[in-house]
Amino acid sequence: MDSVILDLQEKLKKGELTPEILINETLGNSKVVQDNFNPFVTICDNVSISDSDSILSGIPYVAKDNLSTKDILSTGSSNTLKDYVPFFDATVIERLKKKGAVLVGKSAMDELGLGGTGTTCHTGVTLNPWDKSRITGGSSSGSACLVASGVVPFALGSDTGDSIRKPAAFCGIVGYKPSYGAISRFGLFPFASSLDHVGVLTRTVKDAAIVVDNVVGIDENDMTSIDLKPNLSESLTNDIKGKKLFYIENMLDLSKYEESDELKKIFTEFNKTVEIARSLGALVEGVTIDQNLLNAIFPIYQCISCAEATSNDSNLTGIIFGPRGEGDNYIEMIKDHRTKGFCSLIKRRFIIGSYVLQKENQEKYFLNAKRVRRLLVNKFNELFETYDALIMPASGSIAPKLEEINEVINGAGTMNEVLENYMAIGNFGGYPSITIPNGFVNSMPIGINLTGKVMDDANVLNIAYTLESNMEYRNQIAKEVK
Amino acid sequence: MSKFTKEMIDNYANKLLIGLTDEENEIVLNEFETIEGRMNLINEIDGLSDVEPMHYPYIIESTPRSGHIIKNDSVEDLLKNSDKVSDREIEVPKVVG
Repeated sequence: MDSVILDLQEKLKKGELTPEILINETLGNSKVVQDNFNPFVTICDNVSISDSDSILSGIPYVAKDNLSTKDILSTGSSNTLKDYVPFFDATVIERLKKKGAVLVGKSAMDELGLGGTGTTCHTGVTLNPWDKSRITGGSSSGSACLVASGVVPFALGSDTGDSIRKPAAFCGIVGYKPSYGAISRFGLFPFASSLDHVGVLTRTVKDAAIVVDNVVGIDENDMTSIDLKPNLSESLTNDIKGKKLFYIENMLDLSKYEESDELKKIFTEFNKTVEIARSLGALVEGVTIDQNLLNAIFPIYQCISCAEATSNDSNLTGIIFGPRGEGDNYIEMIKDHRTKGFCSLIKRRFIIGSYVLQKENQEKYFLNAKRVRRLLVNKFNELFETYDALIMPASGSIAPKLEEINEVINGAGTMNEVLENYMAIGNFGGYPSITIPNGFVNSMPIGINLTGKVMDDANVLNIAYTLESNMEYRNQIAKEVK
Repeated sequence: MSKFTKEMIDNYANKLLIGLTDEENEIVLNEFETIEGRMNLINEIDGLSDVEPMHYPYIIESTPRSGHIIKNDSVEDLLKNSDKVSDREIEVPKVVG
């Protein structure tokens, strides 16, 4: 079975399952999983099921809590928005509603999307359903947990650096970020507007294609939306003969890393998948990229994302929405609201944004970061003229233990830092990028990532689908749940 | 010795109307040498002065929206997430005079 959604739909059509039973089961499972892993901000107890002939009709799903949902709490997992209830739906929510998909909850995330661990949600840490002592990754932590634990067949997420694709790897599922603008961002709480993407987490590539097919298209409320045609699920041919893939050779040289048995195993699994691709007729070869450019990936991400976040989140004042701060004047009130409302990590990220935006630093840091972004994108655009996709491990580690999480910044410019953050290239260039499961290391799931040319989503998804079809990790449910 | 000081960090935070505890200030202060080192990796790339900054992933051709009437959001909806409302307005402390 290559699609959980199609399987459920068939059961609904045959009468083996009714939408009411499916939703009630989902809500029951939601509560059990919430008690164990804490992935929800809100469980929607009172859902309405509408009739539609869409493939998504009656299918339950979860949305990340930074997507606006009419009359449903939408907090961005921040105390600054802990009681915020939007009066409109994000376009992606509205489109799913029209297709009859049933929103059963809002998932926890790193506060306002500015983290990568799933540990900074105002409702607490989200635990990994494969091993409760480990993180899910983030920022789409709750969405990843709920798909991996089998509660829902799909969940919406957002991705500014790798916030869909990294937790997908750590939770053994599929995480797909389509081309920039393919899914409207109207109603998404912005983090870094030039990097933000809406995407989907599923347990099969086909389900990712099905969901995205149903939500793409121009949205006049989002001037950056693009006209990606909804033909992804029809493009999954299971044939990659003649496709050309590349990996970044200088990032896969073990001698450049601190010695790690775990990393060695991750590279071994990656190499096995490369051999599968070759056995299916694809050409896979290594390409060397200027190390200075690679070393700049994370600094660019940090510089641009923190600067844009500083601006985007300046509307969190507690005046128009959010809990009102205390003070004798509006400045004091806003400062009190923001000081009490943001977690320590967010404050530190904002200060980086403030620093690079200082008049004396703008040219040296902020604008130069944007210049190197262009050089990187030019380089990858050039490679995508020759190759169909980049194939790489999605991470250099399995999901870390909770006690290993240390958000304090240190160790700039190491190869580990490059490997852990290179997927931001997908955001710099707006490329379609998908992580799929690639086996296990030390009993925890790992992933590979495929990234391709802008608007070439169908090609990238077909490569992912074909590899998935020739491995054994499709539709995995996490072992702590089983 | 670090070129950053507690006062500089507080100044960066204050410009964003964010207050820091002493502990938070110390963490940021300790991080800032690394952050600056990291940012300097950007400047190790040659020939940047000739490169146009990239503000968005790619150029998106946008056309003007079609002209049609849309319903305004209701005042009641706009006010319902504010903690302090007076009639049809959001209440704030006196700003001038």
